[in-house]
Amino acid sequence: MAAAKRHHRSTRELIDQRSLALEEVKLEPRTPAVPALKRLWFCIHLPQLPLEASGPDEGARVVVEDRQGIHRVLLACPKAEAAGIMPGQSANAALALLPSLSVEPRNEIAEQQALENLACWLEQFTSVVTFAGPDVLLVEIAGSLRLYGGLLNLRQAITSGLRQQGFTASPAIAPTPLAATWLAKGGHRACIREPANITAALRNLSLSCLDWPATIGESLAGMGIRTVGDCLRLPREGFARRFGPQRLIELDRALGRLPDPRTSWRSPERFCADYEMTEEQSDRELLLAICHELLQSHERFLLARQLGTQAIRFSFFHLRSSATLLNLGCAEAERQSGRWFDLLRLQFEKLLLPEPVIAVRLEGGRTQALRAESGRLRFRGRTVGRGIRFSIAQLAERLVARVGRQSVAGVTTVAEYRPQLAWRPRSLLEGWSADIVSAAGGKLQRPLWMLPEPARLPVDDGYPLHQGRLRILEGPERLETGWWDDDSIARDYYTAINPRGARLWVFRNRNRGADWYLHGFFG
Amino acid sequence: MQRDPSSLDKLLENPRVWRGHRQVHAAAGLASGYEALDRHLPGGGWPRNSLTEILVEHYGIGELRLLMPALAALSNEDKGADCNEPGWIAWVSPPFQPYPPALQQWGIDLSRMLIVRPKDSSEMLWSAEQALSSGTCAAVLLWADKLDDQASRRLQLAAEKGNSWAIAFRPPAARSQPSAAALRIELLASSEGTRVSILKSRGGRPAVLHDVL
Repeated sequence: MAAAKRHHRSTRELIDQRSLALEEVKLEPRTPAVPALKRLWFCIHLPQLPLEASGPDEGARVVVEDRQGIHRVLLACPKAEAAGIMPGQSANAALALLPSLSVEPRNEIAEQQALENLACWLEQFTSVVTFAGPDVLLVEIAGSLRLYGGLLNLRQAITSGLRQQGFTASPAIAPTPLAATWLAKGGHRACIREPANITAALRNLSLSCLDWPATIGESLAGMGIRTVGDCLRLPREGFARRFGPQRLIELDRALGRLPDPRTSWRSPERFCADYEMTEEQSDRELLLAICHELLQSHERFLLARQLGTQAIRFSFFHLRSSATLLNLGCAEAERQSGRWFDLLRLQFEKLLLPEPVIAVRLEGGRTQALRAESGRLRFRGRTVGRGIRFSIAQLAERLVARVGRQSVAGVTTVAEYRPQLAWRPRSLLEGWSADIVSAAGGKLQRPLWMLPEPARLPVDDGYPLHQGRLRILEGPERLETGWWDDDSIARDYYTAINPRGARLWVFRNRNRGADWYLHGFFG
Repeated sequence: MQRDPSSLDKLLENPRVWRGHRQVHAAAGLASGYEALDRHLPGGGWPRNSLTEILVEHYGIGELRLLMPALAALSNEDKGADCNEPGWIAWVSPPFQPYPPALQQWGIDLSRMLIVRPKDSSEMLWSAEQALSSGTCAAVLLWADKLDDQASRRLQLAAEKGNSWAIAFRPPAARSQPSAAALRIELLASSEGTRVSILKSRGGRPAVLHDVL
């Protein structure tokens, strides 16, 4: 008995000598304490995620999971809990308690999707967002504190945003990611700013918050060790030998003794979102409202990345026929949902939907950084107070949306003597390079109107006719060029006038017969 | 009650008030580049911010030449560093291709040309209205075979709204139709040359000019 007592005491002494706690540390950690760069991690634990990701709250619902062939309740909504349904019950037992209960299988894909959407949303607060488990998000906020006017405001912005999106979150803030995660899982709404306070905050935390394998938890509990504080009093080597070095590293990382690098999650560069309806819809107003909603989430997506896009595509899915597509283009990279919605409305009017719609998808095009422009002061007379409703780019977009891409163009000249090649249309939706050269040909007057193709003129007694006999005013101007490609010309151009006063630009081919051609009008 | 004595002057400044003979204070027009024409137009030039109708029987008689100096001045006005400044010239459903080298010879800035070819007359009217009211187009030229009274009123309003100059080319048959245009001129061409006939001029008088073009 006495021997046993003594033995017990000596173990106790051993523990005291070589404990893990920072204050009483006897063994130096393998690397020096790192956090030179001050970090602050905001952890969001979503305990109700399986329930919240599965759909809107209507009536009593539970989410069930298949455990060894039996459907067991994983989570129950408050209404179901009020009826006495507890997590862990079998689905049949829950239905017996509340026959109107809606039982949904757990949808892990939807959970993942919801978590990713949240991560996208969180990217507006910070550039470092990481996942720390199927229902845990970590964001680093030290860099954003100043922008949001302090920790309290930032925490308020995040938590109220989560609530608005319908998520029950248990948040915690700590200087290390693991400490924040553990505290959040423990349901402690802790807010620890100084690394020195971590140990004190973790001391009373139950080991069940640590995501350690159940066997380790059981054997620690068998030793009477139930909290992190208990754990910290154990000798380092013995602890590492018995439970694996990984656990020791985790503890060191949580306490900030070891660095804990996290890879920051990057959301996909292209936006793609679906809106699925419960039944087929053909109400165009409703469809427009859905598109508007999608455009708004598109805007949030782009805003978080400071990006814009020039093209988006809506797909309207039908049950029996293939999807109807609607492409929209913008002259400049754009993200404002209002501007896209204006363009959408113009095209949606004309869109033919062969069948009612069951789902709508919005895909964003290639993104590009938005060009920030500073406003300009306007002093000159006419522009003062002059209301510009939309810029030329917006005007071009609107025209393209209604009239069609082929029908809206600018023009530019090409250094070329052949009249039909001396110009080309230029798109107003891409690039604004004003590469206008002065026309080749110099001083000789060119007609303001040009025919798309030269038109052969009938001839009467050797005179070309166009509403009567033509009289030559000027000419000839010989254009003989283009031998380097297959489109060579050898023409004599004349300015002629017809009896009705129209001035024409006509030509004759030097080598090919005496036919006269009309090429343009001096409008 | 004491009235502000300047209110009568203000009233008389309104170009809609026709005083029987030449108005003293007509709103300054846009110099057409043709002196003979400027002398007969109330503000000494094309009426700004309103609709001008030009009736032509066929093309090639100088209908564009008449506008070119004014359009060249507009396209070079207000030039800023970027292309989003006002001063654009929109061509809505032109009958042929406006030929850029010739436009350039007339001094028009080609980087501010917008050519729209709508498929039907309702799209044409819509495009012209959009361009006029945008505030970016200094002038909008449109070719319309049919343009009823209501449509011309819409164009007139859009031109006022966007501080733009609308120019509608119409066939001579439109002479008998009512129109909201501030200025209506007809081009009468013969082998001797083209005469400009002022049919209606808000604040001015009808006239036939022989020596313009």
